[in-house]
Amino acid sequence: MSELEYVGRRVPRKDGPEKVTGGAIFSVDVRLQGMLVGKILRSPHPHARILNIDTSRALQVPGVKAIVTAADTPGIPHGFVETPRYPADQPTLAVDRVRYVGEEVAAVAATDHYAAEEALDLIRVDYEPLPSVFDPLKAMEVDAPEIHPNHPKVKEPYRNIAGKTETAWGDVERGFAESDYVRQDRFESHLRTHGYLEPQATVASFEANGKLNVWTSSQGPFIKRAKLARTLGLPLSSVRVQKAYVGGAFGGKIDLFSHEFCAGLLSMKTSRPVKIVATRQEVFCAYRHGQPLIVEVKTGVKKDGTLVAQEYRVINNPGAYRGSGVVVIFLAWGFAMLPYRIPNLKYEGYAVYTNNPVRAPQRGHGAPQMRFAAESQLDMIAEELGLDPVEVRLKNARQSGELLPNGDNVHNCGLSDCIKEAAKSTGFSEKCGQRRKAASSERYRRGIGMGVSSYFGGSLIYPNSSSVIVKMNDDGSVTLLTGALDIGQGAETVLSQIVAEELKLPLEEIQVIAADTETTPVDIGAWISGGAYVSGNAARVAAEEVRRKLLEIAEEELEASKEDLVVDDKSIYVTGSPDHHRTYRQLVEASIRKHRGDSIIGEGHWRTMRDEPMHPSLATTKGRWSENYAFDAQVAEVEVDTHTGMIRLLRAVTAHDCGFPINPLLVEGQIDGQVSMALGHAFMEQVLMKEGRTLNPNWLDYHMPNIHTLAPSEHIDVITESYEVGRPYRTKEVGEGYVSAILAAIANAIYDAVGVRLFSTPFTPEKVLKGLGALARSDENDTDV
Amino acid sequence: MHLPRFKLLQPRSLNEAVEFIDRYGASARLGAGGTDLFVRMKYRVASPEYVVSLKQIPAKAPSIDENGALSVEALTTLRDVVRSDVVANRAPVLAEAAHTVASAQIRTMGTLGGNLCLETRCLYYNQSHTFQYVEPCFKRDGDRCYFVPKGKRCWAVFMGDTAPALVALDALVEVESSAGRRTMPIERLYTHDSLCPVSLSPAEIISTVVIPASGRRTGEAFVKSSPRGGLDFAIVSAAAVLEAGDDGTCSRAAVVLGSIAAMPVRASQAEALLQGKVLTRDLIQEAARTASAEIRPVMHHGHSASYLRRCVEVITEDALSLAFERLVIR
Amino acid sequence: MNKNIVALTVNGEEYDLALEPQVTLLEALRDHLGLTGTKEGCGTGECGSCTVLMDDKPILSCLTLAADCRGSQIVTIEGLAQGGKLTAVQEAFLEKGAVQCGFCTPGMVLSVTALLDENPQPSEEDLKKALEGNLCRCTGYNKIVEAVHQAVETISSPEGEGRQA
Repeated sequence: MSELEYVGRRVPRKDGPEKVTGGAIFSVDVRLQGMLVGKILRSPHPHARILNIDTSRALQVPGVKAIVTAADTPGIPHGFVETPRYPADQPTLAVDRVRYVGEEVAAVAATDHYAAEEALDLIRVDYEPLPSVFDPLKAMEVDAPEIHPNHPKVKEPYRNIAGKTETAWGDVERGFAESDYVRQDRFESHLRTHGYLEPQATVASFEANGKLNVWTSSQGPFIKRAKLARTLGLPLSSVRVQKAYVGGAFGGKIDLFSHEFCAGLLSMKTSRPVKIVATRQEVFCAYRHGQPLIVEVKTGVKKDGTLVAQEYRVINNPGAYRGSGVVVIFLAWGFAMLPYRIPNLKYEGYAVYTNNPVRAPQRGHGAPQMRFAAESQLDMIAEELGLDPVEVRLKNARQSGELLPNGDNVHNCGLSDCIKEAAKSTGFSEKCGQRRKAASSERYRRGIGMGVSSYFGGSLIYPNSSSVIVKMNDDGSVTLLTGALDIGQGAETVLSQIVAEELKLPLEEIQVIAADTETTPVDIGAWISGGAYVSGNAARVAAEEVRRKLLEIAEEELEASKEDLVVDDKSIYVTGSPDHHRTYRQLVEASIRKHRGDSIIGEGHWRTMRDEPMHPSLATTKGRWSENYAFDAQVAEVEVDTHTGMIRLLRAVTAHDCGFPINPLLVEGQIDGQVSMALGHAFMEQVLMKEGRTLNPNWLDYHMPNIHTLAPSEHIDVITESYEVGRPYRTKEVGEGYVSAILAAIANAIYDAVGVRLFSTPFTPEKVLKGLGALARSDENDTDV
Repeated sequence: MHLPRFKLLQPRSLNEAVEFIDRYGASARLGAGGTDLFVRMKYRVASPEYVVSLKQIPAKAPSIDENGALSVEALTTLRDVVRSDVVANRAPVLAEAAHTVASAQIRTMGTLGGNLCLETRCLYYNQSHTFQYVEPCFKRDGDRCYFVPKGKRCWAVFMGDTAPALVALDALVEVESSAGRRTMPIERLYTHDSLCPVSLSPAEIISTVVIPASGRRTGEAFVKSSPRGGLDFAIVSAAAVLEAGDDGTCSRAAVVLGSIAAMPVRASQAEALLQGKVLTRDLIQEAARTASAEIRPVMHHGHSASYLRRCVEVITEDALSLAFERLVIR
Repeated sequence: MNKNIVALTVNGEEYDLALEPQVTLLEALRDHLGLTGTKEGCGTGECGSCTVLMDDKPILSCLTLAADCRGSQIVTIEGLAQGGKLTAVQEAFLEKGAVQCGFCTPGMVLSVTALLDENPQPSEEDLKKALEGNLCRCTGYNKIVEAVHQAVETISSPEGEGRQA
């Protein structure tokens, strides 16, 4: 295999210069002539009937150009999931009921903010409040207020069930009976939010020719186009979602948002562009939070630590509509069974409606919560049985070529090496358990912990496949047309590197046109962890076609056969005679002159699991899920201040099998960002809610990590795949897989440091102090009432 | 987010500012750095008819006056307080406290006077109420409290950082109005009323903060416990100033807690414990326990009372220990 | 609507804008001067995305009235690179992978620039204090710190002599 020049290199990102000089255009930066300002009227009630909406006074406000309510819409609902089993359940504007504080009830377009705000104040909505429920366990009770009827397929005596996932293999009861040790634990992962720096923003402009032009902060323009077109009652071809950079998303910008629909509808009504920008408070209150999970897990093992049986019951609280709840309870199963062999498994997950704002995937989408539970319990099992926590993991770790119970092959799997490397580089076995043994009255106590996780790299969900076009320009440079959207992960750079490698062309000679539903081909989007694998292979195939065409022309021009030709440095020459060559420019010219004007364009398409019609069943987990899986082991070293209960992450080590990194610089950036997100999850981030209202809708009170909490983050590559020019490659994913094991590692490290086992996130100072017995009983009467 | 409309006044001197606030009284608000006022205005908690922006008024550098006291103009930015050699020398706890405020940007914009006059804070208060909490709470001139649902009073907490330090330094504030100048101990700047924490009338403005010369060597420390270690308001903060005579006994001890009430609170029993004694590690720990027992922290921002009391003990011990170390060095 | 003429000096150029008093510097830059590089992440002073330099010092433009900027030199992200040549800080951000989504980048770069202009050899503590008000969700701050170290080296190296941050 010849040396790679572009793939596998630490190439600075292509969109870097724009971003570092302020030239990068985000949706909010788009300004059009005659643009109106849009604002949304939101429900103040967590649950209420809408008796009447009167917009007449609001319409009188000077500058107000249009006001819409549900009555003005085609009445077509949408949802994160839209399948026969889980049909769309979210209205674009509330029809006759509101089900959460902040739900969208009306939208105004006006010439300026003040007019729009004045109009919002004058819209009169008559509500009849209904009883509400916020806790999922309470919402399941048969006499709970009904937010939606139970899912028709769920027969149990529960209420408010949005969906259920149930699966099993082997015989767990027999497995437990045969186990030497069985334990059962309950873990709870709390409500967090994405915290992307760019607030949601949309500009919609309905043109005279019937085309709706949209710029919106998203995670993929094609799914937005599809949902916008459907809910607005427009043909797909009438909606164009244009390229705009996105200021972070992490799962919170995937599905359709009411304000996007409203911007479109208002523009159609006024024939003027409409811009709607969410305030940061709206983002914190009424947009999507992450999915909280309650995880009950019972595990049986042999005395040497071999897993025998595992039983899971998972409760998810997706909010007032299904959101991605029915997906997270499916994925939770996946993340439970991926890293280790579990001969007997039973899994049951419920998504339960509550009167809370709708929740969405948040980076990892179930993996952090599940790995926290499984890895904490595994450490407890190891301790009980006197086993080495590293050995226990190695004993159960998946190996290359293993078949998963759903039929997927894990292909190359470097998990064991990840575990060994992470342990070796941190001196894990020497350190773990030592600090606890030493009786200590020291204020600061350190501990080390490990976690293991796995993530899938691409699955099937609309639009299911990616296509890329590579076209040569007269001068031998190339334009890459891709529907891939760069949300920070470096999609444009990675695809450019692949094309550069296939065509032996410097990156500066590759122009990227991206993420425009009109001019670029379809792309799966930046939310299914398949960018490098699916879009990347599509780019490779497109470049391959260009290369083939260039070689054909070269064969004629150089009167040589393909086997004697070398492609290098923007030209093709005969082996051994570098002077006998043609540059790409010459080849393009020759092609146009001699080949019916073929200017040399290549197209490439890729779909994961080409023989599978669709994604696995969310309800039963049956079906193929993915054809590549990433694995990792992470180690955390923490320091606990036993006086204040505060914890610092001193060091994070990530040993990862991402296949092979196309751009190690970008991969490292992803890992660092995920370690940061995990430490936020672990220590300081919490959406505080009371009766459906967010108490801390700003960054002062929602403590997202800042530079003070920076933890050194080390990366160890465990390479299990490779890249060869002209051949399909399997690489895995790096954008979501590294928030999970590190969270578990932190939990285990805290136990190692101070002997306090925490079963719920976040690991607050209060919980630590209570665990240490250092906190007096909470005195509720401290505040005079 | 947009500011509401208002009329802007831009006085070029403190006298001109006083004229404006005298004329417009309660329909005017003073904007020094703007980092508190403008945020509240964006939340529509404050919507004054007039904003008197003090940004055109130059502030003199901190200096030592003829009595040997340290004089810091209220319009001195926090950044300048931190960088001032004079402050570092004469009142290091003030510089230390100013350095913990928010962020570099806010310290560049924000002023000492503004930090002293921060509005009290509460999770429910510091947000827009367009669809959450439509009925106004007490602090918004309404009739209820969301923090204590059946409560009869406001529980918002004063979270400024420089105030505890200045209380510990026995500072004075000079207040200007059309009636002339008055001087008062800084503790009298505060009302202990969450609704209206600062005792100034709308027609008054702080001109200068004066820290009297102590004449003795001091050890000073400001310790702030916060979720991230920067950018944050405090969970609990503590300012400690220890003064010792030549024989090593403590001639004065000031221990002032911040962020746990509507104004900074002196831990007077802890102070009394230290007064006149030879300072030791054990005594400091006892003082910290005393402070924790005598203070009744107001639960704020999701923290429980028992956790806050624990923080009071730990932070007080940390502050006193640090002050003690620095006393010895000096 | 009472508009006044507000004189602003931005990136070395002078502008006279007719603005209502409540217009912030951020709005003046983005909506009236078309300089959209400065971003609004929160509007309430917590995230630092709106950071610009006023007389070489970092401020939050979302909480500054445009009318209060008379006589000050404002520098935005668009004003750093001269004649297309990136500054040492900008180059370091690119080389070290300190840019991902790019939304926090303008504010972050300006905060770093202000720090290194004043203190070309900052300690780790100085660095943290200078950047504590700039939030980033993508990078975890690791590569941002590496970029700062690189910029420090570049500026202090013989080749970088006299070079501005």
